[in-house]
Amino acid sequence: MVQPVHSDASNSALTARALFKSYGQIEVLRDITLDIRAGEIHAIIGENGAGKSTLMKVLSGHATPTTGQLYMGGVQVRFADSVQAEAAGIVLVHQEILLAPDLTVAQNLFLGRELSRGPMVDDRAMNRRTAEVLARVGSTARPTDRVGDRPLAQRQLIQIARALLDERKVVILDEPKATLASDEVESLIGIVRNLRDQGVAVLYISHRLEEVEALADRVTVLRDGDMIGTWRSGELDQRQMAEQMVGRKLEMLYPPKRGVATADPVLEVTQLSVDGGKFAGSFSVRPGEVLGIGGMIGAGRTELFEGLMGLRPSHSERIMLNGRSIASPDVGRMMEAGLVYLTEDRKGKGLLLNDRMGANLTLQALDTLNPGMQLDRKGETRALVNAVKEYDIRVRSLGIEVGKLSGGNQQKLLLAKVMMTDPSVVIIDEPTRGIDIGNKGQIYRFIDDLVRAGKACVVISSELPELVGLADRVLVMRGGRFVAELMGDDITEQNVVYAAASSGKDGAGRKVT
Amino acid sequence: MSITNTGARIMSAAFVSAALTGAPAMAQDKEFTIAVSIPAATHGWTGGVVYHAEQAEKQIEAAFPNIDVIVSTASSATAQVSSLEDLSATNDLDALVILPFTSEELTGPVDQVASNGTFITVVDRGLSDPSIQDLYVAGDNIAVGANTAKWLVDKLGGEGQIVVLRGIPTVIDDERIQGFTDVIETSEIEILDIQYANWNQDEAFTLMQDYLARYDKIDAVWANDDDMLLGVLEAIDQAGREDVKFALGGNGMKQVIEMVKAGDERTPISTPYPPSMIASAIYMTAAQFAGQAPMRGSFKLDAPLITPENADQFYFPDSPF
Amino acid sequence: MSSIDIAGEPEREGFNIRWGDLAPFIALAVIIILGALINSNFLSANNLLNVVTRSAFIAIIGVGATFVIATGGLDLSVGSMMAFVTGVMILSMNAMAPSLGSWAIVAGAGIALVVGALCGLLNGLIITVGRIEPFIVTLGTMGIFRAFMSDGGSLPIDRSLRDPYRPVYFGDFLGVPYPVLITIVVTLIGAFLLYRTKFGRRTIAVGSNADVARFSGVHVGRVRTMAFVIQGFCVGVAAICYVPRLGAATPTTGQLWELQVITAVVIGGTLLRGGKARVWGTVAGALILEIIANVMVLSDMVSEYLVAAVQGAIIIAMLAHRFTSTR
Repeated sequence: MVQPVHSDASNSALTARALFKSYGQIEVLRDITLDIRAGEIHAIIGENGAGKSTLMKVLSGHATPTTGQLYMGGVQVRFADSVQAEAAGIVLVHQEILLAPDLTVAQNLFLGRELSRGPMVDDRAMNRRTAEVLARVGSTARPTDRVGDRPLAQRQLIQIARALLDERKVVILDEPKATLASDEVESLIGIVRNLRDQGVAVLYISHRLEEVEALADRVTVLRDGDMIGTWRSGELDQRQMAEQMVGRKLEMLYPPKRGVATADPVLEVTQLSVDGGKFAGSFSVRPGEVLGIGGMIGAGRTELFEGLMGLRPSHSERIMLNGRSIASPDVGRMMEAGLVYLTEDRKGKGLLLNDRMGANLTLQALDTLNPGMQLDRKGETRALVNAVKEYDIRVRSLGIEVGKLSGGNQQKLLLAKVMMTDPSVVIIDEPTRGIDIGNKGQIYRFIDDLVRAGKACVVISSELPELVGLADRVLVMRGGRFVAELMGDDITEQNVVYAAASSGKDGAGRKVT
Repeated sequence: MSITNTGARIMSAAFVSAALTGAPAMAQDKEFTIAVSIPAATHGWTGGVVYHAEQAEKQIEAAFPNIDVIVSTASSATAQVSSLEDLSATNDLDALVILPFTSEELTGPVDQVASNGTFITVVDRGLSDPSIQDLYVAGDNIAVGANTAKWLVDKLGGEGQIVVLRGIPTVIDDERIQGFTDVIETSEIEILDIQYANWNQDEAFTLMQDYLARYDKIDAVWANDDDMLLGVLEAIDQAGREDVKFALGGNGMKQVIEMVKAGDERTPISTPYPPSMIASAIYMTAAQFAGQAPMRGSFKLDAPLITPENADQFYFPDSPF
Repeated sequence: MSSIDIAGEPEREGFNIRWGDLAPFIALAVIIILGALINSNFLSANNLLNVVTRSAFIAIIGVGATFVIATGGLDLSVGSMMAFVTGVMILSMNAMAPSLGSWAIVAGAGIALVVGALCGLLNGLIITVGRIEPFIVTLGTMGIFRAFMSDGGSLPIDRSLRDPYRPVYFGDFLGVPYPVLITIVVTLIGAFLLYRTKFGRRTIAVGSNADVARFSGVHVGRVRTMAFVIQGFCVGVAAICYVPRLGAATPTTGQLWELQVITAVVIGGTLLRGGKARVWGTVAGALILEIIANVMVLSDMVSEYLVAAVQGAIIIAMLAHRFTSTR
């Protein structure tokens, strides 16, 4: 609720002072002080996990700060929820499309706040207001169109229109998830400028640095929950933005790099095309090499490699694995030929959380471990004891349900599971997501051991230091395609971010076709 | 008005032959449609109903080319209501012969059909409003229970201990049990136990096993239905119990009548509740149109005991029931 | 390395898990004790043999259903499938009786197993190839299988086969009725398949999380289909035990058995959403259902009108306990 407390802030639309936000033990925002002025476009940039989304939620009432204050026009405000924030004139336009596909555009816009005349819903008034707002955001949709019939990018505009239905002081635009075509991006930019000219404060979250450079009046950089600083437009170019986003030095977490791998590739993939061409690319990896795959979330890295494993509809010109040509890939066939894939979704696709460790460990390797139909249960226990030792899985009891293990131990078990068949190529998707620093170091050493033993490893990672610290070579994906290849000293966080986020035409590293 | 089952049969047979010889000529010029709506064959007895309805359809259509009989089966009361709607929507019905699933649910829909001037024949289960029907043909459930009970009281000398199996909770079951217990209460016979077995042979077998486990001496068992009786007999045979002097059913099922004919000591009688009553009703309805014979009123089929002497009259080897 | 203290631990953990799995057997024991207190005839050898023998059908079909439910599926068609399989079996036995004599029984039994397995295969293929919910598919095949059996009254087996076939239900070996022996054999095989083979492992994995199974190279569709085939085969076995009892298939054969089977499986400790299967628990569940009905008849506590209601209440009470305790 609005509380009249005096503050020294001047003409700012929304001011944050010393905001902290923790979830349990984990601090996700530290000491954020920020003011957003009426009539400016203020961009917030940062790596995945830098705290951008949390900051948006705190500013828009979707989350409450652990400590710190918010002021509007010099008056301290406190929002118990987003409804109170909206009443105060602050609205967050979500990444995800939150519209009911079977309702019309107007019905969606007024959902939960329908205009009425007596007991009747006043459709005419709502359609009229909707038409006005749609015109304002440059949408070609009509108020009576069914939302589900509009293309995805159009729905994004409708969602923005919904946020603008009422008078707004602060509009927070979270980065659109749907891939917008270039004319749609233009129209979005138009809306944002239009809002600014009407005196609205626009907070714009993006990792597309070229857009930020073109659009923003001011840019604030977040890194690991800290606010690095705020710059006026023109003070930072795209490369400098990337440097500020990444910032830190490499820690000693990573084993020293191995020499350049020269052996013939163990896996060669030519013209792989997944989900009807949405994700596509060619690549190869050599024994003794860590191939890093970089890119922003949503770039299609996971999808491409799931397609390689036959977990998504895919086709390819050629897949050569250990000298064998694989015609139609599936997990079992790939495993036989020596390729395994460790999913990024540990709990959803990697482990049976309700089952014991032994059953999980051997699930993928049942045919290798048991030649007949009967299970070798003693062998399974032996394998588990070995895995627990080898991968340093710390448990009180071997019979424990996997869901009760910590994230780090789960990840090590998952690693042990895919290694059961002694593959020669391992694809690890997000090897250290959600695990603590100690376990991270261990997993990096496992990867290093593996590669030194002559295996090949593909590491898909959204953590830049991880890519830089581990990979001998990095392929960067953007929009479902490989856009750059980095080698040797060119593998820097700045280069990866730049290739992943900018249009990449003048980027360091070779453009991959 | 009450006629016996055999009476109805002789009458309809006579009518068919009379019609075959001369009567058709004058009725040839007009087409008639008779719809028959009956439950699907989900039980032995309803299986018999379907069989007899189809037989009657063939015979009548052969004898009277200008009469079209449409038989429609339904597996529930709701399905029967729907099929009534379909029948009256797609055909110009001159008559409807219906064996309603339930009285309450079908009364309205049948009334609807009647309002188009369709001749209504109701079989077995009456409607809630009897004024809708032009013709009513039914068995006598109270008599099924009462006649069996009278025979049993007589044979047991007015004393002893018996167990009873009920069917599915419906008016038919209630009436049979009421007819039976009313007579039993006039004697010294004790009903040890009475439970539902849902006119299901498997459940009757199971229930009888339990009765036999619980009661050391059972003089007689009444299964109220010949389908259930077959399950009961298996249970008694398995237990090897000699104390059960009589095991009786009802409905006049083919296999049970064979036992009666063969002079079985444990099952010497049955009581008819013939599924062929549907055939009687269809013949009588057809007579209304082809024979120019007025056929209005209520016909209640008697439930005389089927004994070795008269069993042949109730035996239809080709019927599934 | 922290693996030194591992050795002694697994058993204690295993012991803790077993307590939950014992629940259906404890419930069974409690119901038996209650039955004995209510009526002394309950514990008579004859009554107990009757009850155990007649629970064989639900138990045998339940073993198959345990596989289907363990994969996260559901088969509503088993009751109708039972009617269909017994019908086909009797018709073929009767047709072979003149030429084969008593061997027609053996041939008929073989046909029952094959027809049952094929019915299951049909269910499984429609579900996996057509990608349709098991609930919808088996609701459909429930009607289809039943339709073949409801064109008339009961369908008796040939008189000449009645006597040689009768002992399969009513006979015994060293005092143990054949249906009970068959149930034990089926359950042993079921338990072996489920707990000791690769197929069993994969069955549980598919039910526990189909995505994990798929990502681990398990052919999810193949496992699901196979579970339905096992279910159909079990229906065939149950049909072999069922026909000699009354010597006929009737339109009420197998009616509502699907619900009894599912209830027995769930009482036995198998999770309805899949991923956890208890074959012996299913057998205990089938016994519990049959004993509750038996105790109802043996007691005078409730009138005949309320028997079904009381049975339902007991089952809900038992399952409510299960679901709240696993949450």
